[in-house]
Amino acid sequence: MLNNNSQIEKAVNSRSGPRVSRKPRGRLLPFLYLLPSALLLLVFMIVPIGYTFYLSFFNWNLIAPTKQFVGLANYVNVFTDPTNQKVILNTLVYIVLLVILNFIIPYFISLIVNFFIGKMKGPYKILFFIPSLFSLVVGAMLFSWILNPVSGPLALFLRDFGMKVPQWTNSGAMAIVVICLITNWKVFGYNFILLLTGLGAVPRNILDAATLDGIPKWRVIWNIVLPLNKGVAIYVFILTIVQGLQYVFTPINVITQGGPYYGSSNLLYHTYLNAFVLYKTGNASALATVTFVIFLILLFIEIKFVEGRKQDAD
Amino acid sequence: MLTEKRNWGWHILLILIILAIMLPVVFMISNSFKTLQESYHSILQLIPSNPTLGNYLTLNKQINLLRMVSNTFLMAMIVTLGKVGTGLLAAYAFQNFHFKGKQLIYFIFVATIFVPFTTVMIPNYLVIAKMNLLNNVIGVALPQMCDATGIMLFIKAMEKIPSSLTESAKVDGIPNRRIFMNIIIPLLKPSIISVGAIFFINSWNEYVWPTLVLKDKSSFTLPLALQNYISSEGGTNFPLAMALAVIMIVPPLLIYMVFQKYILNSISSSGLK
Repeated sequence: MLNNNSQIEKAVNSRSGPRVSRKPRGRLLPFLYLLPSALLLLVFMIVPIGYTFYLSFFNWNLIAPTKQFVGLANYVNVFTDPTNQKVILNTLVYIVLLVILNFIIPYFISLIVNFFIGKMKGPYKILFFIPSLFSLVVGAMLFSWILNPVSGPLALFLRDFGMKVPQWTNSGAMAIVVICLITNWKVFGYNFILLLTGLGAVPRNILDAATLDGIPKWRVIWNIVLPLNKGVAIYVFILTIVQGLQYVFTPINVITQGGPYYGSSNLLYHTYLNAFVLYKTGNASALATVTFVIFLILLFIEIKFVEGRKQDAD
Repeated sequence: MLTEKRNWGWHILLILIILAIMLPVVFMISNSFKTLQESYHSILQLIPSNPTLGNYLTLNKQINLLRMVSNTFLMAMIVTLGKVGTGLLAAYAFQNFHFKGKQLIYFIFVATIFVPFTTVMIPNYLVIAKMNLLNNVIGVALPQMCDATGIMLFIKAMEKIPSSLTESAKVDGIPNRRIFMNIIIPLLKPSIISVGAIFFINSWNEYVWPTLVLKDKSSFTLPLALQNYISSEGGTNFPLAMALAVIMIVPPLLIYMVFQKYILNSISSSGLK
């Protein structure tokens, strides 16, 4: 910040052109700055959303020159096809597990670090964050090594106690748990830091006053801290679901490919499978549109609680 | 005070968590220097008794490592420069101008963060295929060159610059592009570094979209190459896969070691609304 003045001087001295402001061009100027990002988002985000919606009314295989209009058939299929129903149910299981592993547990740990351990926050932040730097493919490889039923370290360790690691890839439920644990390994530190930062913004004096009045610590946290930190918490909660459902794609594709019998698949992976493995573009587009609507609802929850709170504060 | 001194129990719990998340990585590094035989028989021996570079040499024979590293680097670099560049320009527009529809445009931008990749992947795949960019890292990078997260973070950083600074420059008749280039960008350096570092690391690790675009092995990035070494039927040669994973984690770790403080600050501020 020290070189502010010299920066201005440099800017002043290097200015060319007249001092008069150019009004007509000035009005278009902000749009010029917005142009690159707006163009990219339009071409690769907004138009594709519309086109996916359009494709969801057709039967197509991604290659054929003609598309067959089928009306709402793909949407009916989303909710009536037994595989799709299984996948939707799996998605709900994923959401519950992701919220427990990637939101509730990091929140609990961030409360401990913020309120129970004094001034040692720095090293924990730095170390917890490290797996966030690594690819989920690395995580998937590490977990399939650790949990390898034949030669993995856990299997060798348990063998001494006469126990075995189950063939977890043969069970949809167990595979889902392992896949969620892999994303937990990656995002735990990230979510922990977001939540800890939120807690750091809770005014200290309120807490100290409450503690002086002899109110037990956990009640202070429950009645004062958690409500005050609601904005950040809901943001991380929504992020956990939105990002988590996309994060699990990688370990699913690397380890189970959605199996056994779609047992570990979810809405997003099933969309990919329909689009690029089974070439059922219409089905995939309907699934993608349903996912989009679910995420949109989550976005509105986020706005209602988080952005709304910001405006109140302003 | 809410904090007290008798808290060893909590420290032990936290240290156990650190061990749980870090030990797999430590053993991964250690096992990458063991032969398949040794890794099987002394799986939890931290220091290999006969450290060998064999896995790394085998990797280099089986795949074109240098090419994959440069593919990954090129892709991550294009994505990072794109996201930082478009993000800075857009943030400046939102922060320094009043224009019609600003609120709405900003809302649409931020809402794109919530769009699941499956909703856009089919049309984007068709566009990239039509542009003849399949099996090309540019095809991976192009659709990702704008990220609303970056715009939000840069706006937050720009809010900290005293408005008197840009206002007085405007009064002096300095054109916006000079204010942007000579005042804003130099002052934003820490945030450009940290946001850029985060974007680079994320792109370096990216897996989902590249699997759709890059089918030809010679165009693979490192995560795709690693996936090829993990067999879903068991029988993965783990020391070999671990050697590749070690190569993958070194650049992000180095970036983190140098810019750790900046990166954590940016992550923190992304959550604070």
